[in-house]
Parts: sequence; C-alpha cells; structure tokens
Amino acid sequence: MSAWRQAGLNYINYSNIAAKMLRRSLKPDLRTEALRRDASHVRITPWTDGKPAHSQKAAAK
Amino acid sequence: MLGRIGSGACTQVVAVVNTQQNRNMATLKHISMRLKSVKNIQKITQSMKMVSAAKYTRAERDLKAARPYGEGAVQFYERAEVQAPENDTKQLYVAITSDRGLCGAVHTGVSKVIRFRLQEPGAENIKVICVGDKSRAILQRLYSKHIISVVNEIGRLPPTFLDASKIASGILTSGYDFGSGKIIYNKFKSVVSYAQSDLPLFSQKSVEDAPKLATYDSLDSDVIQSYMEFSLASMVFYALKESACSEQSSRMTAMDNASKNAGEMIDKLTLTFNRTRQAVITRELIEIISGAAALN
Repeated sequence: MSAWRQAGLNYINYSNIAAKMLRRSLKPDLRTEALRRDASHVRITPWTDGKPAHSQKAAAK
Repeated sequence: MLGRIGSGACTQVVAVVNTQQNRNMATLKHISMRLKSVKNIQKITQSMKMVSAAKYTRAERDLKAARPYGEGAVQFYERAEVQAPENDTKQLYVAITSDRGLCGAVHTGVSKVIRFRLQEPGAENIKVICVGDKSRAILQRLYSKHIISVVNEIGRLPPTFLDASKIASGILTSGYDFGSGKIIYNKFKSVVSYAQSDLPLFSQKSVEDAPKLATYDSLDSDVIQSYMEFSLASMVFYALKESACSEQSSRMTAMDNASKNAGEMIDKLTLTFNRTRQAVITRELIEIISGAAALN
C-alpha cells in the first residue's frame, strides 16, 4: 500500500495535491493561467432522513 | 359637483360620461405602463441571451477538452465488460444540474429520469446525490428520503476539475456502499439540442469480477482502487462540462424565444395603444364639437 493511502488520502486528493504543486512550479507567464483552473466553489451538504444534516444551515433557514 | 347640478337624471349622465372618460384615460395609461414593462423585460432577456451566448462558446470549447476524460473512463468499463452485480440492489444516482434557472427543460429532464426510476418497484435502496439546487428543488418534495447529499454553487462559474474531484470525494465518503449507479446528465448534441444521458458507476468488487479484466495488464486491487477513484472524478468532470454546455445553449434558445415573444407582445400593445389614443382623440373632438353645436 502506498504511503499517501496509508495517510488517509485517496487518489483524488493525491493527484490534486500533485497538480497543485505542478501548477505552482510553472513559469510565471503560464502560472497565472494555470492557477485560474485551481479554484473550486462547490459546497456539499450531506442529507439524512430528507433533511440537510448540518444544524447551522437548518437554523439559518 | 353632484350637488351643484341638482337634477337627478342629469347627474347620472354626467357620472356615466365621467367614469367612461376615466376608464379610457386609465386604459391608455395602463397600456403605456404595460408597454414599458414588456420593453424592459425584452431588454433583460436580450442581454441574458448575449451573456449566455458568450458563456456557451466558452463552455463548448471547454467541453471539447473534457471529452477524452469521460470517454476514456467509459471505454474502460466497456472493454472490461464490467457488469452491475445482480443481487446488489443498492444503487446510486447522481443528478447533474445547476443552481440557475431560465434555461428551458434541462433540469426537469434530468430530474424526470430519476423520478421515473424512483417510481419503479425496488426503489427503496436507491440513493440520489443532487448536484445543483434545481434538481434538489424538484426531487426534495416527494423523494427527500432518497437524497443523501446536495451539492450547490454550480453554474455561476464554469466547472473545474477541482469541483469535480470535490464531488467525487463526496460520493466516495458519503458512506453509502453502492453496488452500481448512474450519473444522469444532459449530453450536448448541438446548439439547439441536448438529450439526457448517463454514465455508469460501479463498485470496486464488480470491476474485479469483470470477465474481461485480463485485457488490461498488471492490475492489482490497489491500482484498480486508484483508477476507480480517478475515473469517478473524471466522469463527474465530463458530465459537469456536458451539462454546463447544454444549459448555456438551452438558455440561449430560451432567451431568444422570450425576446421574440416580448417583441410580439410589444407589437400588439403598440397597436392597441395607438387605437385607444385615436379613440380618445376622436371622442374628445366629438365632445368639443357637440358642445359648440349646443351653444349655438
């Protein structure tokens, strides 16, 4: 078993960290363009029994 | 005014004329107000169309780059002839939609596919992950028990691979041990057409039991697990891109139709506006002339 999996990462985390490092080590003119792809805005809310699981979100509603 | 004139019959006539005049004046004003608001709406829909046209060109360009990710992943499952285990009824459906509306039937189409599946017998073990607020809004009323997580903030910006990997991680860590599943999304065909399509999801066990896995060399369960995780992320990414592209193209058509309809309304309203204006002028002229005639 590889070291990163033992540390509790899955392949998605592992490859994303690798990609992030690669983007940061690019030459400056390419880096700005690449860093723009390095963003994520999605929010995931787990649901249980037909309700959003997080209480603070339910309170906000 | 009523007290001054005195005679009963006369007041009645004056009152009738007054209300009629008021009504006509009012309709003229009402029509011009409606005309103004429809014109504003047309301006809004036109600019929304322009915006989504620009977004659409970008989405289509992005889609071309993203296509190999999804196709590669699907090809692996096809070549290895992976089959869903028959005795495992635990299924996972991922609905790929977005947060934004006003784009025709893209979201309802995806939700409908899932709704029909949930109406069939044996749907108790099916769980749904809603990507985008629109599918959640449609599914939560009747099938909220099936939803295990909701992803939002989709559709404002073009989806990135990081978004997809977050969703994929969410699927993997949801704690739901599915035997098979499907990603339901809108597959982009052309500017004017899209269709609901699906990508398969499998558990690791069904991949390991695949009859033609030997086509691929040097696979151990570690490699398969890593590949499954990566292919899940890339399929989600591909589905997000397809769905974003169809959404923008559909919004473009929807807004184009809306502007066209607003144009028709404006034509009709201008016609009635002009007619009413003329009628009012004519009536005023008649009143003045008959008043002058009465004085003589």
